[in-house]
Amino acid sequence: MEGSESATGRWLGIAAMVLLLLVFIGPILWFILLAIRPADTYFAMPPVLSFTPNWESIRYTFFDPGNNAPQLGNSLIVAIGAVALNLPFSFPAAYALSRYKIRGRKHIMLWYLGLLMAPPVAFLIPYSVLASMAGVKGTYFSMILISQTLTIPFSVWLMRSFIDEVPIEIEEAARIDGAGTTTILLKFILPMVMPGLIVTSMFAFVFSWNNAAFPLVLANRSTTTLPVGTLQYFGTAGVTWGFIASAAVAAMIPPMLIFLVLDRYVVRGLTFGSVKG
Amino acid sequence: MSAVTLAAPPRARRRLPDYTPWLLISPSILLLVALIAFPLLFALKNSFYFWNLQMGPAPMGFIGLDNYKMALSNGMFLGSLWTTLQMTLVGTVVEFCLGLAIALLLLRRLPGIKLTRVLLIMPTTIAPIVVGFLFRYMYDPNGGLIPWLLTSAGIPLPAAGLLGSPSTALWAVLFADIWQWTPFFAIVLYAALLAVPGEIVEAARVDGVSPWKQLLHVKLPLIRKTALIVVMLRFMQIFNTFDLVVVLTKGGPGTASRTLGYSLYQAGMVDFNIGLSSAMTWMMVIIVNAIIGLFVFFAFKDWD
Repeated sequence: MEGSESATGRWLGIAAMVLLLLVFIGPILWFILLAIRPADTYFAMPPVLSFTPNWESIRYTFFDPGNNAPQLGNSLIVAIGAVALNLPFSFPAAYALSRYKIRGRKHIMLWYLGLLMAPPVAFLIPYSVLASMAGVKGTYFSMILISQTLTIPFSVWLMRSFIDEVPIEIEEAARIDGAGTTTILLKFILPMVMPGLIVTSMFAFVFSWNNAAFPLVLANRSTTTLPVGTLQYFGTAGVTWGFIASAAVAAMIPPMLIFLVLDRYVVRGLTFGSVKG
Repeated sequence: MSAVTLAAPPRARRRLPDYTPWLLISPSILLLVALIAFPLLFALKNSFYFWNLQMGPAPMGFIGLDNYKMALSNGMFLGSLWTTLQMTLVGTVVEFCLGLAIALLLLRRLPGIKLTRVLLIMPTTIAPIVVGFLFRYMYDPNGGLIPWLLTSAGIPLPAAGLLGSPSTALWAVLFADIWQWTPFFAIVLYAALLAVPGEIVEAARVDGVSPWKQLLHVKLPLIRKTALIVVMLRFMQIFNTFDLVVVLTKGGPGTASRTLGYSLYQAGMVDFNIGLSSAMTWMMVIIVNAIIGLFVFFAFKDWD
């Protein structure tokens, strides 16, 4: 900021920056290395940094026998399903809350926000018992449906902030020409907020992808998602760290890539649109 | 602007019939109420019954408030509430302060600072359960990176390991959360500080206000709203912590790291005591609602 920064201050700043990267990115790289390490270097201290990559863990978890490959598919099905099911509910609601000055608007918005801060664990046991009673336990549908408690409130908040930015004049002109609300929503607003809709959906995808609570109690062996599936390697015969890392790294790559792509929207997404960033 | 405001009301009333917004909003509300009220009412009913899935698939009799009494009497609930509050308060304060310090660093013109900012958010993108695995690996008493670093620095460690010792387990769990979420504070506070008008800060500087006081009395009040929102979000998320505990300590050793969320999980999903866990669910829901209510009252008083 100030141009008159001393050289010492500058070097201290650079040192702090390097330290920051070591502390916050170092552990991630360390975990990625674990997935391709030879087993005898997992816990070698001092740490072994040079080794011939060992693809055994990745081969075992994803190809032969490929325990985690179906889970990767399950994660995709549940996250994409959750995002798709949420749109017809959240898009009209976000539009209405952006455009209409209805009574209690603030309280509705805060109610959605409250849901995002609710303790997921409080709902797990009832969901688990109710799902078995209804005979839907273990289905993708049960996980996709319950995910709506996250994706709908999140999407309403974030999408509303995008719709707020669309100028109202176009809509007014269309209305004067006799267009109904449905036409306006689908023919005028939807194309204009498409970028916002995509950004919202991508963040909702990440939140659903990373949610372990619901699959933990609702999934069965064949429908479990990747982050939860990693738990299977905490077996009685000891922890198989290479397999855990291989599956866990695969689980963390999609959200990382999405956040890199959405860089300029990260602040906005993480604060549900309440901070423009 | 005033012309627009004056002209708007009659047109708005004609153009937008009253029921339209409710038609658009109600599907989402109805679905959410169904998804929330149903399990909560189910839990309310179960909280008055003795029901343990290990003994039978159906409730085994009405026992009034016994589940509530049990949760409160054996210290299970209050003990873990206290653990959770300590963890939540310390976690929120540490993450906010560290995040603010990092945000101030990010504002400086340093080579590579933009790339640092982009990469810094990576821990926040990872699923908490995966962060749990990552830290369980790094905490391993037999060759984990963290014990090795600490020992090399001459810091004595408990023999049972950082996760296995009652005095460090909770803080080791919290450290994983701090690692994951400090970048969140840093990035959001950075964005908020970036939006502070330069002239205001410049005026304070010209008036001879020290950099520390500029931050405290000029910049922080200007980003108060953003700060309150992120503090509120994080406070509630830490308060609700359970998956990190499932992977790292299972609440142990003893009850050292048993958060409220985990003790609920344990009662229901480990001990299969549906009645007891339902009673605890309701007590937790009431507490969470009270805290959210307080936050909302202070943070959103003048919000639209």
